[in-house]
Amino acid sequence: MPTTLPSLPATVPTEWYLAVSAVLFAIGTAGVFLRKNALTIFMSVELMLNAVNLSFVAFSRQFGQFDGQILVFFVMAVAAAEVAVGLAIMIDIFRSRHSVDIDDVSWLRG
Amino acid sequence: MEFLVFIVVAAVAVAASIMVVLQRNAMYSALFLVLAFFCFAVFYVLLGAYFLAVVQVAVYAGAIMVLMLFVIMLLNVAQPEPPDRRLGMLRPFGAIVAAVLVFELLAAVGRSYVSPAAGAAAAVPTPAAAAGATLASSTLRPATAAATATPAAGQLTVGAATAGHTQLLAATLFTRYLFPFEVTSVLLLGAILGATILARKRPEVA
Repeated sequence: MPTTLPSLPATVPTEWYLAVSAVLFAIGTAGVFLRKNALTIFMSVELMLNAVNLSFVAFSRQFGQFDGQILVFFVMAVAAAEVAVGLAIMIDIFRSRHSVDIDDVSWLRG
Repeated sequence: MEFLVFIVVAAVAVAASIMVVLQRNAMYSALFLVLAFFCFAVFYVLLGAYFLAVVQVAVYAGAIMVLMLFVIMLLNVAQPEPPDRRLGMLRPFGAIVAAVLVFELLAAVGRSYVSPAAGAAAAVPTPAAAAGATLASSTLRPATAAATATPAAGQLTVGAATAGHTQLLAATLFTRYLFPFEVTSVLLLGAILGATILARKRPEVA
């Protein structure tokens, strides 16, 4: 068992990672369109964010710079902040409407 | 070997993502999303971003999804969704648009040619070697022997230092991206305040 990992050869091309990222992004988009539960829509948005993160890291490895990975770091921080505030909003909406169905909160009144 | 891991993990990630979207029960969707996040972490390890893989598991799967599961259980919204009432006719269009999006994105990716960078073309694109060639903001010169060299004993020395991935990432983060880092901390403070104020119990109006 080697003590250090071997160097990563240039085997999996960047385009493959981009293709996986594209498919996952599209699946997340479908989730935002198709679901009525606000929490499931939230999870689909998180899926889209992660797909973009994957693209960032793939390009970071491609061009040999760390800027992509640092951007992923910031995207994760912003996503965490967004989830916290978004869920707090949903809890507040649930208190008055007793539902997180987006069809029930489609009117601004109330 | 790396190809095999990539294929398997990509298939699991796509399957888990489809289950996230298709599951009627929000709790099952959340658990499938946790599985997808672990697949992303494996992708980051395959790409050499070890610190990001750990952060992905700790922040996304460990904090964000736990928070979502708490809210799902708190609001008790894990029941299957009732059939669509008003916008039922428009639902299939969402699936069609998503399919078109997949086709367009894959066509764009397939038609593009991602040319390798000049400095990293000859060498294997490991983070240590490539960062040593193109990292402009740091004076680190990591050893190019191994991809996961052990980090130096606390000192960032110019010359024959061996630096790990976390160390190199931090060197760029805290020099070139120091201002966005501080702004992000203010953003998180605002999020903490906002979430606390929004979710607290309102006093009952008589």
